[in-house]
Amino acid sequence: MQAKLEADFTLDLRGESCPYPVIYTLETLEGMNKGEMLQVITDCPGSFRNVPEEAIAHGYKFAQDPVKNGQEYLFHIYA
Amino acid sequence: MKRIIQPIFQHYWNPYLVLLLAGILSALYFGLTSTVWAVTGEFTRLGGDLLLVFGVDISGWQYFDMVHLQGATWNRPDGWIVWGMFAGALIMVLLSNSFKIRLPQQKRRYVQGLIGGIIAGFGARLALGCNLAAFFTGVPQFSFHSWIFIVATGIGTFFGAKLTKTRWWKGKPSLIRGNAKPTQLKKRIIQPYIGVVIAVLYIGLTMYFFTSGQKLLGLGALFGLAFGILIERGQICFTSAFRDLFLVGRSIMAKAIIVGMAVSSILTIIVISIYDLTPVTQIAALSTFVGGALFGLGIVMASGCETGMMYRLMEGQLLFLPVFAGNIIGATFLAYAWDHLGVYNVLVKGGAKINLLDTFGPIGAISATLLMLGGLYALTVYGEKRYHRKLAIKRGMNIHAS
Repeated sequence: MQAKLEADFTLDLRGESCPYPVIYTLETLEGMNKGEMLQVITDCPGSFRNVPEEAIAHGYKFAQDPVKNGQEYLFHIYA
Repeated sequence: MKRIIQPIFQHYWNPYLVLLLAGILSALYFGLTSTVWAVTGEFTRLGGDLLLVFGVDISGWQYFDMVHLQGATWNRPDGWIVWGMFAGALIMVLLSNSFKIRLPQQKRRYVQGLIGGIIAGFGARLALGCNLAAFFTGVPQFSFHSWIFIVATGIGTFFGAKLTKTRWWKGKPSLIRGNAKPTQLKKRIIQPYIGVVIAVLYIGLTMYFFTSGQKLLGLGALFGLAFGILIERGQICFTSAFRDLFLVGRSIMAKAIIVGMAVSSILTIIVISIYDLTPVTQIAALSTFVGGALFGLGIVMASGCETGMMYRLMEGQLLFLPVFAGNIIGATFLAYAWDHLGVYNVLVKGGAKINLLDTFGPIGAISATLLMLGGLYALTVYGEKRYHRKLAIKRGMNIHAS
């Protein structure tokens, strides 16, 4: 695992099914100030792919590679 | 060994590859059994089985005659398609150590799931097929009802996506300042061992079917297993195909499904002409359109269709228990409404079984199908581009305003 990054906000989406993780993530990023960092914790397998791919498609950058933590994923995304 | 195992179980597979395989397998299954990969017909029969358990007299219900409600689900090849899909998905989930009980934080999802499930179950059976028999395996059978179904489902999904975006429907997520702790990992990994045990038992059962001369049950069990493995490993969500295009401009699932259907159509026409088989054709009527639109709306409300909910339930997403129950309730209610509430007379009677093969001949049918799929693909690409163009304009205006 890489060095721990300090997130400005954390979106805890554990338990939520698609499409809500991707909707919540994009909306939260839109409401944040540019340069702030969002941590997303999600365990819906569909979101392991659609959250990072859509965050990038919507022009956001990842602070580090996605972290697989057992049955969940952690994403660190700059708004 | 690790080099082979890791890509299979540690990553989800490319949806194009998975739907290509699913398209090939469904054409093969049709060639072997003259039936198609489908699930909701069996859901209706399960509803009938339940009514019988509760002592309801269903002998006069026309719909159950039409879907051949005979024997128990264990004695029906279509039943084994369903149980095989559950088994295949569960085995993959366990082998990849990804089972976890997942409970939505938003309690409203359970209600949404049940209501959406009922609407989707009712709509699918009204239209005579879900995303499989009226879509993914319906188009390759050249049954015109699937063309109507695609348009109607697209419209239903559009309104479902609008609903999903409203504040009261989606609810507020848990957003906190700073970091939150990820879940503490368990040291002992036992899921793959359970997966192996279930796989061995299931393969044993399939072999028993073949060796005891129950070939159709064996084929159902085998292909069901394969379809279950594919939808779980590819995370094949038919619901997301249209929905995510409207919601976030995401197109990969729609494109992969279209490509899979195109390949399946070509293979099916070859199978039909070599073995002189009769394609599976369903009635195209007003009911197809109404059912498709209801289905499209219902699957978005429930966050999953009759196919997608199967592997999600096996992953431990308990939201899909009320969805599954809703699907069966909706399908069973349609079976009741069919003759008791006059659904057949109003919506179905005026329709006809239209097959493109009869209308245009083999060359015409496959050309028309590929042309339609090409058009659908172009529309998907256009939808994605349009979404991102609008997003760019919106962002540009925001920059100007600040």
